[in-house]
Amino acid sequence: MSDLLEKYVRPEKNPGTACKGCGLRLAHRKVLEAIDELGLTQGDVVWGTGIGCSGRQTFVTWKGDTFAGTHGRVYAMATGLRLALPPEKRLILTVGDGDAFTIGFLHLLNAARRNVDMTVVVFDNLGYQSTGGQYGVTTPLGSKTDSSPYGAWEPNWTQGGFDVLNILKEAGATFLARHTVLQGHEPVESLKKAIQNPGFSLVQLIYPCVTHYGVQALGTRNLASIYDWFRERTSDDLSADSNTHFTTGIVHDAVGSRVEFAAGLRGFVASVQKGGPDGAAD
Amino acid sequence: MKRTFDTGNAAITEAAIRAGCTLFAGYPITPATEIAENMSRRLPQVGGYYLQAEDENAALHICNGGSIGGLKAMTATSGPGFILFADAFGWAVSSEVPVVIVNSQRVGPVSGITGAPGQGEFYLSRYLTHGGNFETIVLAPSSVQEAYRLTVRAFYLAERFRTPVIVLADQMVTDGWETLELPETDAEFHAMGLDVVPRRVHPGPEFYPATDDIDVPPVVLGHNTGAACSDWTPTDRGHDTEDITWQHKHAWRLIHKILNHRDLIDEADEWFLDDDPEVILVAYGTPSRVVQKTVKAARHEGLPVGGIRPISLWPFQDHLFSRKAIYLVVELNWDGQLVREVQRAAVDGSSVHFWGRCGELPTSGELLEVINKLLKYEPLERDGWRTEKW
Repeated sequence: MSDLLEKYVRPEKNPGTACKGCGLRLAHRKVLEAIDELGLTQGDVVWGTGIGCSGRQTFVTWKGDTFAGTHGRVYAMATGLRLALPPEKRLILTVGDGDAFTIGFLHLLNAARRNVDMTVVVFDNLGYQSTGGQYGVTTPLGSKTDSSPYGAWEPNWTQGGFDVLNILKEAGATFLARHTVLQGHEPVESLKKAIQNPGFSLVQLIYPCVTHYGVQALGTRNLASIYDWFRERTSDDLSADSNTHFTTGIVHDAVGSRVEFAAGLRGFVASVQKGGPDGAAD
Repeated sequence: MKRTFDTGNAAITEAAIRAGCTLFAGYPITPATEIAENMSRRLPQVGGYYLQAEDENAALHICNGGSIGGLKAMTATSGPGFILFADAFGWAVSSEVPVVIVNSQRVGPVSGITGAPGQGEFYLSRYLTHGGNFETIVLAPSSVQEAYRLTVRAFYLAERFRTPVIVLADQMVTDGWETLELPETDAEFHAMGLDVVPRRVHPGPEFYPATDDIDVPPVVLGHNTGAACSDWTPTDRGHDTEDITWQHKHAWRLIHKILNHRDLIDEADEWFLDDDPEVILVAYGTPSRVVQKTVKAARHEGLPVGGIRPISLWPFQDHLFSRKAIYLVVELNWDGQLVREVQRAAVDGSSVHFWGRCGELPTSGELLEVINKLLKYEPLERDGWRTEKW
């Protein structure tokens, strides 16, 4: 495992700066494992990050080219960047649940609509943890956090019959999966499919925050107890009750069903230059 | 030279294409919509990309993303969209990314009137993002022909300074129809004082040198140089840092790479200043057209009047106001924005006055009346809301 870090991670960022016991390290490794198993090198991947624990802890860890966007806007940036990059270059974004599903959701939806070739990996720590632990749209209902001292009551996008990934499916995403980092190789397999998809992919990867969610919502500082809670709540069955479980698996696989945005736009531009749609006579 | 009759919107479009722009992302907004429309027609013809973004915030972020991939990018908007650029503009300033932003100012506040000109974003264009510790380059055209020239300049300066450059126009410049001469050869293009800097790629590893140097190639991703850029304070390698020393180096660079190379940016018109006239009119953009005409008319009447038109607005050109005089600043707003900088910059012993119009141009006649009052040291105060107070 340390070989993987030496291979892909900048020495200045190894070890990383995440809290002791933070599940983010596992999430980060799942992505590196997927990259490694696909045989990709540092020059094959451009890595972008958002804001929050997920973004800050993974920014400029990648030895190759890397960028960080403002909060929630990295999907719009990646849309522009994709037009400039060669199609074979893989574009991976590691972001948080707040970055993707709240502040950046408009841009995420539009990236899915366009089917822009990018792999969004949402490192989901069930709320806003880098600011000290406030509830978000993936925080289980009833969770006590610093901004929900009586328990989170606002409807979220993971329970009560809602699934944020279904919204992205309707928006046009071509690959969607959800896992927890407590699962072994399943997340890596999904990440590999996501990275290989020449279109918009998103993998939601739920991980334990031991510093805030563990203490505030689960009432313990004991790492084993926190990890046990996540393990017990993880279900391999996508149709399990999402009110009580993290339902995992490949939510949507429509790889190859839609034209990728940059490829489509390049083709459109070429057709206009040839006098294509309605002619470019001017 | 191809001589046409066209709008500022068309001039800006042709300038962007000539400067090598291959990406435009925007959101339709009056009175800048025609720039988007023209770009949607012209870009595919030259192999470029036109995108309609989900909002202006996304538009500039898409441009930033394209720019860090190596594309020259531009967006265009008016006030309500301009305010949404704050997020992406700051990113481009701090990451030192070349990008061009056009704002066709309309009267406000907020949505105001879509079809009336305004000059409400003089300060906003200087401080289009939070956090301080940066300088901004802002150019202000006053005609269709100049909209062409300054848009090409904006791309040129953006590349050399690695920074976003704003073309601060107004509704009359972009919507107005005038004669437009478009260069057809490189020789004609250069004869207009214009040049194009092709996109370069920083080889690394010191992407953010602690110098005031310009002509540092921008950070471009996709070449496996270990390129790193972000909204965080960078080390020289682009790593995020909490070290105050790097913060100081970064802020110093963002400010002084611009302030120490002002000779490339500063530009102004000066009219009839050789005999140190008593009254000097000051305006930028469309009102400066009325001011120029008024100054000539005043001279014709033998009045000691001159004029100054800042063409580059920011960094502000304090040196233009080193003559002791009675300054009259004419703007398309009632709250007075440019006048505050003139008041700050004007040499001791000067007096500074304001004549604002809200959504409409002043006339030469009314400006001549004001000049005559100033020459007699009469107060400019008028009735009710029509006072000189700003």
